[in-house]
Amino acid sequence: MSDAQPLPGPLAGLRVLELADETGQFCGKLLGDLGADVVKIEPPGGERNRQVGPFLDDIPHPERSLSFWYYNTSKRGITLNLETADGRQLFRRLAATADVILETFRPGFLASLGLDYESLRKQNARLIMCALTPFGQTGPWRDYASSDLLHMAAGGEMASSVYDEADVPNAPPIAPGGGNAWHMGCHFAYMAIMAALVYRSVAGQGQYIDVSIHEACALTTEAAIANYIYRGEVLRRQTGRHHAAGPTPRTQFRAKDGTYVCALVAGRLNPKYVKDLADLLDSYGMAGDLKDPKYQDPAVIAANTSHIIDDLVANFIAGLPAEEVYHAAQERGFTWGAVRAPEALLDDPHLHDRGFWKEVEHPELGRNFIYPGEAAIYNGAPWRISRRAPLIGEHNTEIFCVELGLSRGELSVLAENRVI
Amino acid sequence: MSRPRALENIRVVDFSWVRAGPWATRWLGAFGAEIIKIEWPENERGRLPSTTTPQKLEVNLNTSGNFNDTNVNKKSLSLNVRSAKGLEIAKRLIGISDIVIENFSSRVLQNWGLGYEELCKIKYDIVYVSMSGYGHTGRHHHYTTFGPVAQAVSGLTYVSGLPDQPPAGWGWSYMDDTGGMYGAMCALTGLYHRNMTGQGQHIDLSQMVASVPLNGPALLDFTVNGRGLRRAGYPPGNRAHWPGTPLVNNYRGPTVAPHNAYRTHPGEYNDWCVIVCYSDEEWQRLVQVMGAPSWATSPKFASVAGRLQHQGELDEQIEAWSMTFGKYELTERCQAAGVRALPVQSAEDRVERDPQLCHREMYLPMEHPALGLHKVQNAPFRLSETPASNHLPSPLIGQHTREIIEGLLGYSHEELRAGFADGTFWPTKRARFAYLEEMLQ
Repeated sequence: MSDAQPLPGPLAGLRVLELADETGQFCGKLLGDLGADVVKIEPPGGERNRQVGPFLDDIPHPERSLSFWYYNTSKRGITLNLETADGRQLFRRLAATADVILETFRPGFLASLGLDYESLRKQNARLIMCALTPFGQTGPWRDYASSDLLHMAAGGEMASSVYDEADVPNAPPIAPGGGNAWHMGCHFAYMAIMAALVYRSVAGQGQYIDVSIHEACALTTEAAIANYIYRGEVLRRQTGRHHAAGPTPRTQFRAKDGTYVCALVAGRLNPKYVKDLADLLDSYGMAGDLKDPKYQDPAVIAANTSHIIDDLVANFIAGLPAEEVYHAAQERGFTWGAVRAPEALLDDPHLHDRGFWKEVEHPELGRNFIYPGEAAIYNGAPWRISRRAPLIGEHNTEIFCVELGLSRGELSVLAENRVI
Repeated sequence: MSRPRALENIRVVDFSWVRAGPWATRWLGAFGAEIIKIEWPENERGRLPSTTTPQKLEVNLNTSGNFNDTNVNKKSLSLNVRSAKGLEIAKRLIGISDIVIENFSSRVLQNWGLGYEELCKIKYDIVYVSMSGYGHTGRHHHYTTFGPVAQAVSGLTYVSGLPDQPPAGWGWSYMDDTGGMYGAMCALTGLYHRNMTGQGQHIDLSQMVASVPLNGPALLDFTVNGRGLRRAGYPPGNRAHWPGTPLVNNYRGPTVAPHNAYRTHPGEYNDWCVIVCYSDEEWQRLVQVMGAPSWATSPKFASVAGRLQHQGELDEQIEAWSMTFGKYELTERCQAAGVRALPVQSAEDRVERDPQLCHREMYLPMEHPALGLHKVQNAPFRLSETPASNHLPSPLIGQHTREIIEGLLGYSHEELRAGFADGTFWPTKRARFAYLEEMLQ
C-alpha cells in the first residue's frame, strides 16, 4: 500500500455557495461530504440555527450546537451581510466563481437586493442556482410561514401515522420526529442540482431551479395518493405499520426486554412460510402446534391467522430479547427487525464492518467526536467528512483575502462596518 | 418536445422491482433518461399483488395504480435473464447503456454473472448502483428489508410516538420513498463523476444504513453528550417537549410551545390543524387571532417557559378555539396574521383541496392504456432550462420488447418471434396480452 493522496470525492472541484437556514443546510452537507467545496455564507454573528440545541455539555453557545455541527460538516464558513452594498458586491464576486448557489431565503428576497439569478448569470452563464423554499416561488401559499411539523401535516405524513385505537385511544395524528420535512426537501433539491450539473457537463449552460418542500413532502407517502386516485380510499392510521383502507393484523410485538420487534407476517402466510416459521419457533422450543401437518393446508392457515400471529408469534417474541429475535429470524430468511433506539446503532457490527462511524476532529476543543457516516459507499470516489462544521467566519481571511485578494486592512474595515 | 432534457441520451438498465428501486428510476426518467425496465411476468413484484387497482377493473399485471404512478417515464422489456440467451441480451443492452440499477438481495446480480467486474468488462465506464437492504459489504449483507424493517432497525420507527407508549412508527414505507431518493441521488452523482473523469464505479447503497444519518443530531447527542433517546418524555408526540419531563431539545428545531396538532370543525378523522409559535411575538399574534380571550392573556402564558410548563392547559384552550373553525379557514386566519399553521391533509385533501398543490399543478391527468385517464404525481422541482416531466405512462409489461430487441439491439423480427417461442421474452405456457400478439405479427 502506498501513502498516496486519498481519492477525491465524486464532486471534487465544484464550488457551492450555501445561503441556507434549517430548511436547506442538509443539502449543503450532502454536497460537501461528497467532495464539493461548500462555502456557507452566514450573516455576521452566525446563522440562527446555531441557537438550536442540543448543545455540547448542555452549554448553549453558537459554536456548541450539535444540530448545527451535524448539518454543516465538510463546509467552509464565511460571514457576509447581503443588506449592505459592500456585502452584495463581494457576493457577486463569489458568485462569478461558483458552480452552484443554494439559497433558502423567502421568495423575492434576493431579487430585492439585485441578486436574482438573471443578474448573477450575466457574469457566469454556467451558474446553477437552486432556491429551496417551503412552498416554491409561486402560488397562494408562497409567503406562508412553516416549520417541520407544519410540513408533516400538510404533506400527508401525519394523516398516515399514529396508534391503533386499542393502543392509545384518541391519539392525534403524529408526525415522526427528527426534522424529516427538511430531509425530504433536501433530497429532492440535491437530485435537481445534480441533474442540472449533468446537463451542464454536456451543454455548458447553467439554470435556475425552484424546489418546494411542501411538494417534496406531499410526494413522500408511498401509495397513499394512488389509493385515493385509483380507488377513492382515504387510509386509516395504525400502530407501527402501514396505513390501510381497513384494519390489518399487527406487525409490532413486545419482546422480553420491553422493546419491540417489527415482524412482517400477515399477508405472507403460505405453507412454506409457515413451515419456516415453525422451524424458527421450534429452535427455541416454542412452536406450539405449528409443526402439525395440517398447517400445510392454505385453508387451515387462513382460518388460524390470528392464532399464528397473536398467540404463537407474539409469545415467541415475548420470550426473547428483541435483538435475538431479529438476528435469529433474519438468519432464517425472515424480513424482521428489532425496533431500536438510534443509540443502539453505535453497537451494530454491520455498520462497523462498513466503516460507517467517522471520527471528526474539533481542533479548537482538542477533542474528536463520532459522527454518522454515509448512506452509500462510493467505491470509486469516496464520501468523507472533510472537516467539522465551520466556526463563525472561520474562513473569512482565507476566502476574502487569499482567494478574492482583499487586504487585511480592507477586511478590518468590512468587519467594523458589519459587512462580515 | 422542444425543451432539452437534463439526461438526454442517457440510458439506464433497470432491474429494480417493488418500490424503492422503481421510485429511483422514475426520477431519472423524469429528467429525460431512457429507462429500460427489465421484468419477468413469473417473477414480478411491484405490479402484483395490487391493492390500488380501480374497483371496476380486473387485477392483473397491468392494472396497479400505484405501479403506474411509480413507473411513469419508463419502457418495459420482458426478458428471462435467468436463461443463457436472456442473459446475453441483457449484456448487449448494458454494453450500450450508462447506468445499471437494481434493488435485489446483495448477491443476486453477482450470481447471474453480472457483478461489477463483469459489468466493467461489458461497459468499462458503467455506473452501477446497487440498492440492497443492508448493502453489499458488511456481515449482515444477506439480511433483507422492507421499508418498515429498515425503519425499525435504524432507529427511525423509534422517533415517532408518545412517551411511555409503543413506538407509533411511520404509517408507510418512508425508507422505500427515501431509499429511492438515494438511489437516484447516487446514480446522478456517479453519472456526473463519470462525465467529469471518464471513470465509472459501483455505488453500494443500503436501505437500512441510509436511514441512520436521518437521526444525525440525536446520534450526536449520544456520542457527544452521552444522552440516548430511551428517556423520560421521548418521543414527545407532536410537541417540542413533553411537560413534566427534563427540558432537553428533541431534535425538531427550537423547544417551544404551542407546538401541536389541534382538532378542527367538524371533528372528523382528518380534521386537525397544526399550530406552532417560535417566539413570544408569534404567540401574541395567535392571541390576537383568537380574539385575545382572558385565559390567553394570563401571565403564565406570556413567556416560552410558562407556555412549556403549562402546555396541557394551553393545548386544551387552543383546541377549544380551533374546534370552531374548519382547518382551511383556521390556516388562512392564522397565516394572514403571521402565525405558523397548516392543516393535516389526507391524500384526498392534497389532490382535491390544497390550493398550493393545485396552483403548482402537482397532479396532472395522464392516459394509461389499461387504467384510463388518472392524475399522476408531478415533480417538486422546476428547472428553467431542462424541466422534469411525466412524458410516458407506466409501461404495460413487455410493451417495448420489440422496440428494444429489434430497434435498439438490431435483432431481426424472426429472432423476436423465436425468443417468444423459446421462453426468452415471455413464458411459453403463459397467456399473452393482445399487445404482445400484435408485436409478433
